[in-house]
Amino acid sequence: MSAIDMLDLFSGGLSFLFTVLILSYLIGDNPLFRIAVYVFVGAASGYVAAVVFWQVLYPLLVLPTLSAIQSASLAQGLYVLMPWLGLILILMKVSSRLSGLARIAMAFLVGAGAAVTLVGALTGTLIPQFNATIDIFGGAVGKGGFELVELLFSGGVVLLGVISTLAYFHFGAHPKADGSMRRLAPVEILAWVGRIFIGITLGVVFAGVYATALTALIERISSLINFIASLFGMF
Amino acid sequence: MADLINCPVCGTENPSDQEYCRSCQAALAATEEGDASSIQPGQSPTKRQTAELEPILPQWLRDARDAARSTEPEDSNQAMPPQSEKTRPIASEDLLAGLQSQSGQDEDEDVPDWLANITGAQPKPKVEQQPETTGARWVEMGARDDFPSEDAAEEADMPDWLAGLQATQAQPEKDELTDIYNLTRSVNESLPTQPPAQEVPPEAAPHDFASSETPEWLRQMALDADERSATAEAGEQSAELPLDAPDWLSGLGGPGSESTFGESSAEVSEPAPAESEALDLPPSDMPDWLRGSAESEKPAQDTTPKWLREESGGASEPETPAWLASEDTVYLPSEPQQETPEQDALLVDLPDWLKAAAPNSSIFEQPAEQPTSLQETPEPSFDSPDWIKSLGATEASEDVPAADEEKSSPFENAPAFTPDLEGDENLSSLFTEMPDWLSNAIEPTETPSSSASSAPTPITSDDALAPSDLPSWVQAMRPVETGIVQPSLSSDRTLESRGALAGLQGVLPAVPGFAPTSKPKAISIKLNTNEEQLKHAGILEQILAAETSPVPMESYAALRTSRGLRWVLGFLMVVMIAVVLGLRMENFSTPLLAPNETRAAMSLVDALPPNAALLVAVDYEASRAGEMEVAVAPMFDQLMLVKQPRLTFVSTNEVGSMLAERIITGPLAEHNVSYVNLGYLSGGQMGIRAFVKDPVAAAPLSTSLQPAWESTTLTGISQFDQFSAVILITDNAEAARSWIEQTEDVRGSMPFIVISSAQATPMIMPYYDSGQVTGVVSGLYGGAIFEQYIGQPGSARTYWDAYSIGMLFALILVLGGGFWNLVLGWRERAAARGAE
Amino acid sequence: MRVFTAVIAIAFGLLVLLGYFLPPTLFPTVVDLQTVLLNWAVILTGVAALVGIFNLIIVHTDKVRRAEKGSVYSALLVLSMLFTFAAGMLLRPDHVAMQRVVLSGIILPVEAALMGLLVVSLLYAAIRLLRRRADAMGIFFILTAVVIFLGSATLPFGDIPVISTWIRPWVTQVLALGGARGILIGVALGTLMTGLRVLFAMDRPYGGK
Repeated sequence: MSAIDMLDLFSGGLSFLFTVLILSYLIGDNPLFRIAVYVFVGAASGYVAAVVFWQVLYPLLVLPTLSAIQSASLAQGLYVLMPWLGLILILMKVSSRLSGLARIAMAFLVGAGAAVTLVGALTGTLIPQFNATIDIFGGAVGKGGFELVELLFSGGVVLLGVISTLAYFHFGAHPKADGSMRRLAPVEILAWVGRIFIGITLGVVFAGVYATALTALIERISSLINFIASLFGMF
Repeated sequence: MADLINCPVCGTENPSDQEYCRSCQAALAATEEGDASSIQPGQSPTKRQTAELEPILPQWLRDARDAARSTEPEDSNQAMPPQSEKTRPIASEDLLAGLQSQSGQDEDEDVPDWLANITGAQPKPKVEQQPETTGARWVEMGARDDFPSEDAAEEADMPDWLAGLQATQAQPEKDELTDIYNLTRSVNESLPTQPPAQEVPPEAAPHDFASSETPEWLRQMALDADERSATAEAGEQSAELPLDAPDWLSGLGGPGSESTFGESSAEVSEPAPAESEALDLPPSDMPDWLRGSAESEKPAQDTTPKWLREESGGASEPETPAWLASEDTVYLPSEPQQETPEQDALLVDLPDWLKAAAPNSSIFEQPAEQPTSLQETPEPSFDSPDWIKSLGATEASEDVPAADEEKSSPFENAPAFTPDLEGDENLSSLFTEMPDWLSNAIEPTETPSSSASSAPTPITSDDALAPSDLPSWVQAMRPVETGIVQPSLSSDRTLESRGALAGLQGVLPAVPGFAPTSKPKAISIKLNTNEEQLKHAGILEQILAAETSPVPMESYAALRTSRGLRWVLGFLMVVMIAVVLGLRMENFSTPLLAPNETRAAMSLVDALPPNAALLVAVDYEASRAGEMEVAVAPMFDQLMLVKQPRLTFVSTNEVGSMLAERIITGPLAEHNVSYVNLGYLSGGQMGIRAFVKDPVAAAPLSTSLQPAWESTTLTGISQFDQFSAVILITDNAEAARSWIEQTEDVRGSMPFIVISSAQATPMIMPYYDSGQVTGVVSGLYGGAIFEQYIGQPGSARTYWDAYSIGMLFALILVLGGGFWNLVLGWRERAAARGAE
Repeated sequence: MRVFTAVIAIAFGLLVLLGYFLPPTLFPTVVDLQTVLLNWAVILTGVAALVGIFNLIIVHTDKVRRAEKGSVYSALLVLSMLFTFAAGMLLRPDHVAMQRVVLSGIILPVEAALMGLLVVSLLYAAIRLLRRRADAMGIFFILTAVVIFLGSATLPFGDIPVISTWIRPWVTQVLALGGARGILIGVALGTLMTGLRVLFAMDRPYGGK
């Protein structure tokens, strides 16, 4: 029995154990379930810390710093100086007295992140999705017969779904004669239709989540069976 | 009525035991004090040095002061002291009573210290100010240079503002008193002419006051001062300095002149001086009603008006005009003494204010004769205004001994005002005193030396702002009490705490002149709104009420968590799946119909060039590893079999790199995979963007800490767009969105395949529909289709029966249970409505 | 400090923004600067993750020190964290032992089992949904889910006719597409506005009011 096999056996045993511990939650909340969860959190966070160091800080900060020191390059030094400064500032968050200084680095992160997400949303989602909605009947060009009707109908439904969903999220209201605040009648109708489309979409998502969860449960039960089978096969 | 108190503000009668008015809530205590503290007619204001307060006065108060200066006769009439019954003016005191005092004030007037502080003039020795008493008024009214002193003959020296002022002053009085003037003139014409002053040098004072621009009454006052000086030199003891005369007034004649102010009020009532004054007026300066008698008195060599020369001479007391004599200095002529009864008889019915008004209203009507000997006047040596200098020179030439006494007097450097003339007495007693300009006329002569002996002491800030310490000019502006009892300024001790009046006390009291005599007019505060505005206001109120009122959460009666149902569900699911998997059932067919997005992914895999460099982004959690590996395995198996691509793994998930290794060592373990694991990209979208912009800089090393971009797998690859395709393995629609968005401008026509979890597929489908995603393989369903497509069953096939049974089981439970709960819900709601 | 942080956020945000729109051929410096800034952001984000993990250690260590209720679980958490971190630092995360023991032995089973537990919860919730929410959205939600359940399953002889071959694809590719696209556009608009608010310093999630 090789070390890998021993390692696989040990890993399979851990997997079996933690799976059972977690599935014990079907009976109810119990200490075993909590033990598994706490150990999982600790192991995951420790692993993440190691990953961050070896796959982020080491290649992007430590090695360039060593390289800059070795080469005595001013440009490289300046390049790595700012991250070190930001690192120090962020580490200030640990101190309650100096945590305010961390805002500087956080401001940099937020500003850069805002710019990235802003442009991404604009160029990656808004414009392409608007273009796709505008060109929703473009596929019907050159088509005829039932296919044309199907494309036109499908395109109309999608268009209605988009508009009605956006109308559902439109909360501008106008006062009515009785003082109540209501949306305009067309918007109100579209919003009602939008509720249906959103319900359908969430139903699809729900089914997808269920499918994912079901697959995960199947995989876990399969792993349990396989581990038991492997034990019996081994012995 | 004894138990009632009138409100000082609104006049409402209130019980005496109340402190505040029941109508306007004003303090009633002031009313009670009013008797003692209010200014009584004839009461002299307390002298205070308030020049420093001038700049901080509000504009309206300064304007009022300016107006008071310009219309001093009209304003001062409110302070007309009630003299004896027979001297009480017949006409309205409010309107013209001050004219008498004006004359008297002008007579005694000098530049008070407080006024000098305002105007910047230095307090002057009283001796030199004696002939300039009338000039003080001009100082108040304007600049000192406005007074023509150097060259009285030049009419151009008359400032415009003064000319206008003359017009404005003379015109209304002329209109109102025309008849009286005529009457007075007739009286004057009947009087004998007075001889010219014998003691006055011909080139002294007349040169100063003979200017045609100089009002007659000013000249009269100046000459009156000279006369008093001469009287003092003559050793007359009849004149007394009034008790409340300010230092500038008391210093006019110095100690020697005090006696000149000692005329009793009874003498003031003598009508004779009015006629005598009229007799002295030069014809050119006198109105018609005075000219007749004055022309006969005019000396040939002197252009000084006769009345002025006579005043200066001091020997023509009987000719002192009534408006001047009415003050305190009445010099009854000795020679025409016998005519006095006639004059009295003629003017006994004329109030003094009318007599005083006569010259005052006529001085501008006719130009005076031009004096000619002004250049002979010696210049004074100190910083007095020119007109004061000229007068001072005249005074000095006449009353040098008096001037010497003035210089040594205690008034020389002392402040103009004393904090309290009564010394230790209560401050409220100040208001029992008459104003200085009134006390000159009516103050008894029992304290002739009081003002002289009581050296004025500088006031302090302590009493400067007290209500009882109001400066004389403020007190003088207050209307005197007339018939009804009014609260005095001293009763209002409100200290202004803000605004321009901050620090001042009692500046804005409910003084009689400003207090309404009746209840304030009711002004409707109802908004003038129309229905539309009211409607909008109502809507706004509703909105605000909706914003502030708590919205009750739509609460449901907590459904009892059916633990039994949960147990049943859990047990059934686990057992069912375990049985299916344990029995290795493969009874259910895998899906035959591939969705469009999966077919597109299949086509793309087929279209990829051999040995293509593929970027594989592993962005899913370990929890979905089972599903994702099932979906990934058939595609990558196909790729490995057909294309043998070079795989570059990268992840924005911390465990992504290890999940990639798990794929390599798991489903693809049978293949010789050429891959590089670049590991974890931190920063989410920022990391993706950094990698897209410069992958070498963003991920220089592989997870094995080897230079990734120097490996054979990444040969020729240094930019993002050099990859043949991007395969995103994700269980998160957000991660998919991040990759799609951040690679949008770089990908170009690069294929982008998404292997997604079933839960993320619905939100990725729009990107597929828009063409941003080339193909989608969704979860176990997509993996099963791909396995069937490649014809090599794998994990998907193993799981498919359990998956199908699980889906059908869910269908049955949700459909049946949902319908059952729907009915239950309806029944519950119907029961609830019935209960209501 | 408040203004300074806002200035920093705006300045770096604008610099990153310029890197998107300026052509690299004309403004290579700006584009390169964007890359540099993003790399710095990647580093700092990693550091922030470490600070978060450190904070987790502090919190649970305090719990253990104070012997609070559940401190045993906290002790397990700290121990497992330290052990994993030490092993990861020594062996590196890509080591096979780390993969087998930490990932396949702890992380993956726990997460996957938790995900499997979700099956029961989802079913339970779906069953009782209409008891409380019998409106159009709820009904369409359940009906759609039922259709997808049915369409995703197969029978022993193959796909379920009509449902799997026609209704399910049409629901997922047409009906759900409209709603999903609307939601995506709404999310993108929200993201756009949030980014603009940050760049205009109207929102300051980095601290300061």
